[in-house]
Amino acid sequence: MPRHFELELDQLRTMLIRMGSLVEEQIDYAVKAITEADVALARLVMQRDKKVDEYDNSLDQQCLRIFALTQPVAMDLRLLMAGLKINNELERIGDIAVNLAERVESLLPYQDFVKTTSLKRMADAAREMVKRAIDSFVNNDPALARKVLESDDFIDNLDRETFNLMVKTMKESPEFIEPAAHVMILSRHIERLADHATNISEDVIFLVNARIIKHHADSSADGGPIRT
Amino acid sequence: MNQNGYKITTRNLSLSYGPKLALKDISVGIRTNYVTALIGPSGCGKSTFLRALNRMNDLIDGVQTSGEVLVDDIDVYRNDVDVVALRKKVGMIFQRSNPFPKSIYDNIAYGPRINGIHEKNKLDQIVERSLKQAALWDEVKDDLKKSGLALSGGQQQRLCIARALAVDPEVILMDEPASALDPLATAKIEELIFELKEKYTIVIVTHNMQQAARVSDYTAFFYIGKLIEFDETKNIFTSPKEKQTEDYVTGRFG
Repeated sequence: MPRHFELELDQLRTMLIRMGSLVEEQIDYAVKAITEADVALARLVMQRDKKVDEYDNSLDQQCLRIFALTQPVAMDLRLLMAGLKINNELERIGDIAVNLAERVESLLPYQDFVKTTSLKRMADAAREMVKRAIDSFVNNDPALARKVLESDDFIDNLDRETFNLMVKTMKESPEFIEPAAHVMILSRHIERLADHATNISEDVIFLVNARIIKHHADSSADGGPIRT
Repeated sequence: MNQNGYKITTRNLSLSYGPKLALKDISVGIRTNYVTALIGPSGCGKSTFLRALNRMNDLIDGVQTSGEVLVDDIDVYRNDVDVVALRKKVGMIFQRSNPFPKSIYDNIAYGPRINGIHEKNKLDQIVERSLKQAALWDEVKDDLKKSGLALSGGQQQRLCIARALAVDPEVILMDEPASALDPLATAKIEELIFELKEKYTIVIVTHNMQQAARVSDYTAFFYIGKLIEFDETKNIFTSPKEKQTEDYVTGRFG
């Protein structure tokens, strides 16, 4: 039997996918702006954040309406819950893209220094995680979502290494205190990107497999479904 | 439809059953080709209001009505209004399905026949079209001679909808059309309502608030004969303006 609110759920998915593509591109541009010292591109990222925020508000409203009018259950209910949370994660990813872009101008005199750090490698890995997390949502693919979870350690390690290296640089070469501080903060921002990608992946696993795995609530892939 | 997109407009509609005032001063506009739900606790006047729209209350002794009910800008309570023609234009579906003890075919053909249509070809077309519109055709097309009473409850209700559609109404009033049905039959009726609004203006009384949320575009909340709030359904169920509405839709009273 056809269900007319299927259309509303499709719209919700479509909006999330569009928002996902937009924030993916925002990260792309922000990373490129840092590594290529492109101030114009950084400004573009900052301007386009308004669009991300618009998606955030529309998605909240769409979810509220569907919750109130259709009393979703089972898969539909999980899509709504996951949709609300993924929206939140995407909006935060968008904010981080802006945070990255905001430091481009301050780093202009220190391009050579930036090139010696792991920022580019970290950013590429984090961007890939976000991309895969969004793909796992688009394709309802919990296996891909699990791969994202596994990549998080790599970025955490690079963040720790970068932190230690920057502390060392500040101690040994005070003339690099300013860029080292920027790099430290950028590294933390990038690490947060990966965390948001991880959260999205957990939401996808909840959506498809009906399992809550965050905070190691159910770490086994074959554990039973949620029971409350 | 009048110029503002309203199929039905009531102005200061009040109604009493003898000394008891059942509707107090109701002014509201029902939009063309939308579904409007009437909700409220038992005795709030929602069914009385529904029945006032095609003068079904005339059949009850001691009913007094004041104010206006305009259908396409014509007051249906005017003395020169043909009540039979009004009820053809503003059809009604009741809580308990009530097919005639006749065949499926004759149930549908009844209305057109008393309106003077007797050619078999024409009646065949009307029966097929009405049953298709009511999403019943596929289930009964091979056995149109079967008694309407032999159908399941959900099918009987769709037969009654088909019977109402056969006389080309413009408005369909539904008084708790799914309250006697199981969840699957209810879901079918709800999907049907969604499809029918393309061609018809629908007003539905329901005790089931979730049903009102699912099927309607506009919702009117009645309480003790008064219209407390009327708004788009999405507003009534996400951010009602009146506290009484909020209390009712959240289940705090009623």
